[in-house]
Formats: sequence, structure tokens, C-alpha cells
Amino acid sequence: MTLTRGPVLAVLALAVVALCVYPAFGTGYGVRSTLQIFMWIALAGSWNLISGLTGYVSFGHVAFFGIGAYAGAILITAAGWSWPIAALGGGVAACVLALVIGYPCLRLKGPYFAISMLGLNEVLRALVSYFEGLTGGGNGLSLPTLDATRSIYYVMGALAVAVTAVTYLIITSRFGLRLMTIREDEIAAEAMGIDTFRHKLVAFLISALGPGIAGALTARDQGYIEPISVFPLAITVTMIVMVLFGGKGTVWGPVLGAIALFVIQEIVWARYPYVHPLLFGAIIVAVVLAMPRGVLGLLQLKYRLPRTI
Amino acid sequence: MTPEMIAQVLISGVLSGALYAMVALGLALIYGVMRVINIAHGPLLMLGAYTTYFLYSRAGMNPFLTVPVAMAVLFVVGLLLQRTLVFRVVDAPELSSLLLTFGISIALVNLAQLAFTSDLRAVEFITGAWVVGGLALSKPRFIAFLFAAAVTTLAFLFLKSTRLGKAIRATSQSREVALVCGINVARIHLLTFGLASALAAGGGALLAVIVAIQPEMGGVWTFKSFLVIVLGGAGNYPGALFGGLLLGLVEQLASLFLTTQLSEVVAYLLLVVVLIVRPTGLLGGRST
Amino acid sequence: MTRKTLGLWALAGAMALLCVPADAQGPIRIGASLSLTGTYAKLGKNQHEGYQLCIKDLNAKGGVLGRKLEFVVYDDQSTPATAVRLYEKLITEDKVDGVMGPYSSPVSEAAANVTEKYKKIMVAPLAATTSIFRKGRKYIFMVISPAEGYLEGVVDMAAKRGLKTVAVVNEDTLFSKAAAAGAVELAKKKGMQVVFSEAYPKGNTDFSALLTKIKAANPDVVVAGTYFDDAVALTRQMKELNVNPKMYGVTVGGDLPEFYDTLKQNAEYIYGATQWEPTLPYPGNQEFFETYKKDFGHEPSYHSAAGYAGCLIYGEAVKRANSLDADKVREQLLKLETKTIFGDYKVDQDGFQLAHKMVTFQWQGEKKVTVWPDELAQAKPRYPTPPWTQR
Repeated sequence: MTLTRGPVLAVLALAVVALCVYPAFGTGYGVRSTLQIFMWIALAGSWNLISGLTGYVSFGHVAFFGIGAYAGAILITAAGWSWPIAALGGGVAACVLALVIGYPCLRLKGPYFAISMLGLNEVLRALVSYFEGLTGGGNGLSLPTLDATRSIYYVMGALAVAVTAVTYLIITSRFGLRLMTIREDEIAAEAMGIDTFRHKLVAFLISALGPGIAGALTARDQGYIEPISVFPLAITVTMIVMVLFGGKGTVWGPVLGAIALFVIQEIVWARYPYVHPLLFGAIIVAVVLAMPRGVLGLLQLKYRLPRTI
Repeated sequence: MTPEMIAQVLISGVLSGALYAMVALGLALIYGVMRVINIAHGPLLMLGAYTTYFLYSRAGMNPFLTVPVAMAVLFVVGLLLQRTLVFRVVDAPELSSLLLTFGISIALVNLAQLAFTSDLRAVEFITGAWVVGGLALSKPRFIAFLFAAAVTTLAFLFLKSTRLGKAIRATSQSREVALVCGINVARIHLLTFGLASALAAGGGALLAVIVAIQPEMGGVWTFKSFLVIVLGGAGNYPGALFGGLLLGLVEQLASLFLTTQLSEVVAYLLLVVVLIVRPTGLLGGRST
Repeated sequence: MTRKTLGLWALAGAMALLCVPADAQGPIRIGASLSLTGTYAKLGKNQHEGYQLCIKDLNAKGGVLGRKLEFVVYDDQSTPATAVRLYEKLITEDKVDGVMGPYSSPVSEAAANVTEKYKKIMVAPLAATTSIFRKGRKYIFMVISPAEGYLEGVVDMAAKRGLKTVAVVNEDTLFSKAAAAGAVELAKKKGMQVVFSEAYPKGNTDFSALLTKIKAANPDVVVAGTYFDDAVALTRQMKELNVNPKMYGVTVGGDLPEFYDTLKQNAEYIYGATQWEPTLPYPGNQEFFETYKKDFGHEPSYHSAAGYAGCLIYGEAVKRANSLDADKVREQLLKLETKTIFGDYKVDQDGFQLAHKMVTFQWQGEKKVTVWPDELAQAKPRYPTPPWTQR
């Protein structure tokens, strides 16, 4: 089976048009759910940029989401910014955090980096609680009521598209190739003259931008945020599962994973709410052992799909 | 701020430090011998705590006497986990072992929630404190300290003096050479994982008398164990002892001089600083 | 894959278009998203049972407006984000006739944005945070007393006895912070001095440093905004470090039977606050207690009672308005003054609860004895709390 450009682009265009038109006739719930899927595509795609391409597992990635949420919320409430600009502000805040954390931690080898990211979300939660004058601490932060769900739907959709596009650009570029070299054998990469630290840092920064913006948009949409709900481990877990399932290191893997897992989640969790984490854990174990390259990886092997898919 | 206050807090730090050391030693063993980062370490501790709870509440056992039982039970659980799942990622890139143990940890926590419910359990066995020189020595924590110290000492003796212990250390130094020397490396891996799970469970069993038990209690212990290993040096087993005490003391002092909330941040900052300045650990250990 | 997704969404869209409004003469459908799993699972379940019992009782009396009531419930996993989506679902897809509130203040706060948007009445029986009701919302109604009042009893009793200094600690979450803030404000108003105040993170188990600082400040009274595990840990460690205030009170958690089961003797003399007790002389309270116990196999907590009462109040307002129309029901809810098994109900223009009274109890001889306010007190408090070494 070969994929020719024409039909693929046509299908994509059709999908984009359908999604653009959807809010006009979808229910409030449907729009919100699709918005959530866009958010997950953005999150999973971003996690893929650092963890899938460089092999540096970021266990604390939700920290960028949370900080984007808080930065965005604070900019809206305290500085009176409009929410689209505040969303960008959230992205910037996340990048700053990535720089602060990445600078020391990316010099370390893979396992140590993972460990350092493990506690990050908890620390940020503690910090947010501490600076309660600014963030409302445990009280959470309430935004002025605004029904912007439709607009946020479009912006989040654009974000999802952007993250996927950026992933495609990176994977098909030399920069991406070097990142993957780092993943395969970092010492060899360094021996070849690649400045591994700088490459990892850039990838890390880019991977923080998406969650930062998504966090700010989510804060605006929900109208209320509190530390425990924007820094939970569960969000990182879900990101990871989505990417692993879909295929890490690929362009469409995170998209596939996000959609599939979201639908599975809705069905399973509606019927079996109590075993939801167990299922996710089982999926992770199964994927790691049986299909470490994810669904897309399997398809790539079987149907000889291009690497850049 | 008086000297008494500082002294009081230092005592608490030492008491909790021993527990940290014992649990972290398990994690250090797994990493040292198998190069696996066991994210499921915390849930194993949690299962140890529940074992104690049920033995105490259903069979009326003295909770401190359940410690060896909990350790034995989790030793077996560890063996099973290693035999069925973990052994497959021992040679794989570290990402795989990270993710695998991560998946196992989420599954274990959810299983616990299903089996035991999220209701908080507590073991009411011994409360109060001995007063020594005007300072309070918490009874449950002190007894836990004694147990932890004893178990850790036994573990070190085992590692140092027995044949199996030496085989474990040899394998963690160099797997290839150990193989050449005729050590059954696969069996050593099994044993190590079981032993580490037992150590975690022992920590959990002792904790059961001190804090409330619930399925999510392990998560923070995984992180703290890593912190201890980083402080003490990966692969440096006595380093775990040092790291544990250091962590206990730092936490308590930060809670005293700053606030309890900030002590979490301080611990994390300590981690990052040590990782940058001396990634091989404060006492020196193996770099990856 | 993309085609399939496209198809799915087209299908969903078509189904949405085909959705017809519920049959006007069928049962009245009430929807809610509850914390059936997650952090609040245990208490959310109690609330659920309260709702269920209320629906059953209302149906036994012929329903409301001549129609039976049906309850649609989803699990929000104790997360505000999920609750928001679920309320959207209930209102826009399931097209329920009315909604009831979820568990906890954070979740209620997030959900309220949805109900306001669609102009649906939401009686939120487990929302205790004042700020939720002070944002100019029109369709949300409070049933329980605000969080700020939880420690009022202890502070009031302390002030009356001429105690001067108080230490306030709390878990750093919405409810506990409000309880602590309320205590601090009241203490200051009564001329007491707050000698120590600190928040601790959720899940904290080691209070030795905190208590060492409290001991050094030597307060007459210690009040804590807690949940269950921190209340237990705090108490145990107070004993270890020999911290002996003359009065010591906690909030949520102190009223659970497990509190005494776990602490045994060490729970004696501790003050707690509760929105409701089965022993209170409210109309129908005894019956409610017995029926609940029979139907669900365990005793109700105040969450059960609040859920029950909240649903009854909503039903009553619909009856009086003789319609499900939000504005008409709203009018009735604003006017309504009544007494249920849960206590008094009366709200102000914002829907904020004015009449309901919290009670403060003290553990005396393995039992919770109501000691405040005076009108509802069963006995006098055992004062002062003797030092740990003398018990």
C-alpha cells in the first residue's frame, strides 16, 4: 500500500473543513469534547518532541501545562490581557520554565533527567501554593465569566495543527535527524560533533510551548483553576500513553494516539470508571513489551510507510 | 528559634532518615544491578503497608512483628514482577524500563484502590513519646527507626559477607565479568528485585504504624528514594544511608526555618543542585 | 484513519441534529455529575445516596408537578474539568430538566460556569466556599454553612472563657483555607491574638517542625482546617511532642467515626464541627437516618443529609413555582424559608446560605456531644483539655 500525496491531502483538507464547521451544529458537549481532543493532540505531540525524538523521558511535562494555565490566568485577571494574548504569555512562561529546568538537567544523562522531571510537577504545585498572593494558592484562581468556548475551539485546533506541523518539519529536517541520533546513541552523537546539550535544550523548549499555550487556553475555558487540577500526574501519564500507543518519534503517532485514547477513555470510563488507571497502566506495559514503536511503528514496518509519517 | 527546637527537629530528621535509607537501598540495588529505574518502588512500599494493616486488623498481630511477614510477601511479589515483566527490559534502552515500571506502578495503585478502596486506614498501636533530656522521642518513629536500622545493617552484612551478597555486588560492578566468573546473572536479577521489594515493603510496614495508609501513599516515596540515591551516589550502597539521613535532616530543617510547604521545594532544589554540581553523588558513585 | 474520524464526527453531528427535546409529559429528569471515583469518592458516594433517597421519597409522594422524577448521574472523577464537560453533556445532549450540584467547592465552582451559561438552576448542596456565591451568579444556591464558619464554635467558646492566644494551621486547599481564614478573622474580632499561622501541603504526614513551632508559641487554643488523615497525624504528633492547648479543634474528619476508631483515647476532648448530626432535633431527621441506614447499609454522613435536603429544597421550589422554568424556580428559591432534616434554609440575593447553623461537638466518652451553639447543645464542654501526660 503506497500513500500518494493527492488523496491524503484531500482527506486532510476535508477533515479540516469538517472540524471547522462542526461547532455550528454540534452540541456544547460535543464541541467541548473535540476541544479536549485538540488539546491532547497538542500535549501528546509536544511530549513526543522531547521524549519521542531524543529519548529523554519527561515525566513532569504537565508542569508546563500548569504553569501556562497559571500564567495565562494571572495575565487575564491581574493584568487584564485578552485571552489570546494571555495564551501566548502562557506559552512564553512555559518556555522560561523549560529553560530554567532544562539548563541544569539536560546536561545529565537520560535516567537522571527523568528522575529530575519526576518531582517537577509537585514542586511547582508547592510553589504555586506558596505564592498565594499572586496565584490564590489553594483557593485557586477564578477568571471573570466569559463564554468563549467556540473561539477557544478554533485556537486549540490551530495549536494542534501547529504542533503536528512543527513535528513534521523537525522530523524531516537535519535538526530532527540529529535529535534522533542523540536518542540512538548519545556518545556517538557527541563524537560526531553534535552539540547534544544545545539540541536537547532547543527540543525541550519547543516541547514546552504547546502545553503552555494549551494550559492557558484551558484555564480560560474552565474559568477556574487550582493547583491540584492543573498539575496532576495523570495528565503526564495520559500524554505518555497516547504517544506510546500511537507511535513515538512519528508525526501522526501522537495524533492517532490522542484520538484513539480519548475515545477509549470516554467509552471505558463511562462504563468502568473504577479501572481506568489500571487499563492505562496495562496499555503502557503492553505497548512497551509488545509494540514499543506504537501502532504507527507497526504499520510503518508492515506497510513500509515512510519514516516521516 | 531555640536550640531545643532545632534539636527536636534534628531528632525527627534522623528518625525519618533511617526509613528513607532503607527504602532507597532497595531502589539503589535495582538500579545498580540491573540498570532499571524502578518507578514502581513506591507502590511496593504501599503494598507492604497494607499487608501490615490487614495482619493487624484481621489477625490482631503486633504490627512490628508483621514487618518480616510483609517483607517476605513482597519479596515474592518482586520475584514475580521480575520474572514476568521486568526481565524483558533489563537489556533494553533505559526509556523502556522507565516506562514499563511506570505502567506497573499505575496499575498497582489502581489495583490497590479496587481491592482496598481509597478509604484511609490507620493502625493504632502505639502513640506518645519518651522524653529524653527535655526532647520528645516519638515512640512509633523511634521503634521504626530501630527496625529500619537493623534491617539496613543486616542488608549490608548480607551484601558484604555472604556469597550471594558478593555476587550481587559483582554483578552491579560488571555484568559481563560476573557472567564469566560463573555467576548466574539471571538469578541474581531475580534475587535483587525481590530483595529490593522486600526492603520497600519493610519501609511500608513500619510506616503503617506512623501514618495513614492509602493507595497513593507510595508515589512520594519513589521520588524521595531517587533523591536519596542521587545524594548518595548511584551504585554506592552505603551512600543510600548517608543520602537518607541527609534528606531527613534537610526536610525537617527546611520545615522549621521556612514552612512545611517549602520543604518540598528545598528537597527538590537540593536534587537539582547535586545533579548539576556532582552528578555522581555527594559521596561519589558510578556515573551512568 | 482520518476518514474514519471524519465519519464518526459527521455521524455525531447528525445525531445531535436529530436529538429531539424530551417528551414533556414523561418523567422529570434531574442530572448531576458526582465524585464517584477519585479523591472525593467516599463522600461523593454519600451525596449520591442522599440524592437517590430524596428522589425515592419524592416519588413515593407522587413526584413533582404530577410527574415522577428520574436521576441521571455521571462520574466526574473528582476533577473540575471533567465535571464541566459532564454538565455540558447533561444540559446540551441529555437535555435534563434540572441539575443538582456536584461534590466539593472546586468542582461546584467550575460547574457553576456551565449552569449559569445555560441558565439552569443548580442547588449546590456541598459547596461551602463563599466566593462561589459572590460572583454575581443568579442560578446557584447554597445549602450548607460556609467554610468560614467551621471553627466559629471553638473560637467563640474560647473567647467567652477569656482565652487570649490562638494558633491556626490548615491544609492548603480551598475549603481548609477558608475555614482557617474564617477562624483568624473571628479570633481577631473577639480580641484574641493569632500567635501562629501556617499552611501545610495536602498529603503532608510529618508535622514535627510545625508543632515544634506551635509549642514554642504556646497558644491557649489550637484550631486546624483539616481533612481526615492530617487530623489524625496532627493529633498523634501533638501527643508525641506534648503540645497542650486548652482547646484543640479540627474541621472535616474530626466528625467521622473512623476518627475515634483510629485515635481511640487520644481523640477525647477534641472539638470538631459538623454541618449536621443525626441526633439534632430537625423535622424528619430520625426517620431519614433510619431509612438511609436500611437502604444503604451504613449511617449517613452530613454529605448524605445535605444531598437529600438540597434535592428536597429544589423539588419544593419547583412545586411552588408550578413550573420547571429557571427564572420562576429561582424566584421561589430566593423567597423560600424552610426547615428540613438538615436544618434551616434561607438564602440572600446571591443564593448564599444565611440560616443554616453549624454545630460544634466535642468527643466525650467515645461519643460526639454537641456543645455549641447553646440552643442545640447537649452538654457542657469538658474544659480545659488536660495535658497529654495526665490522661
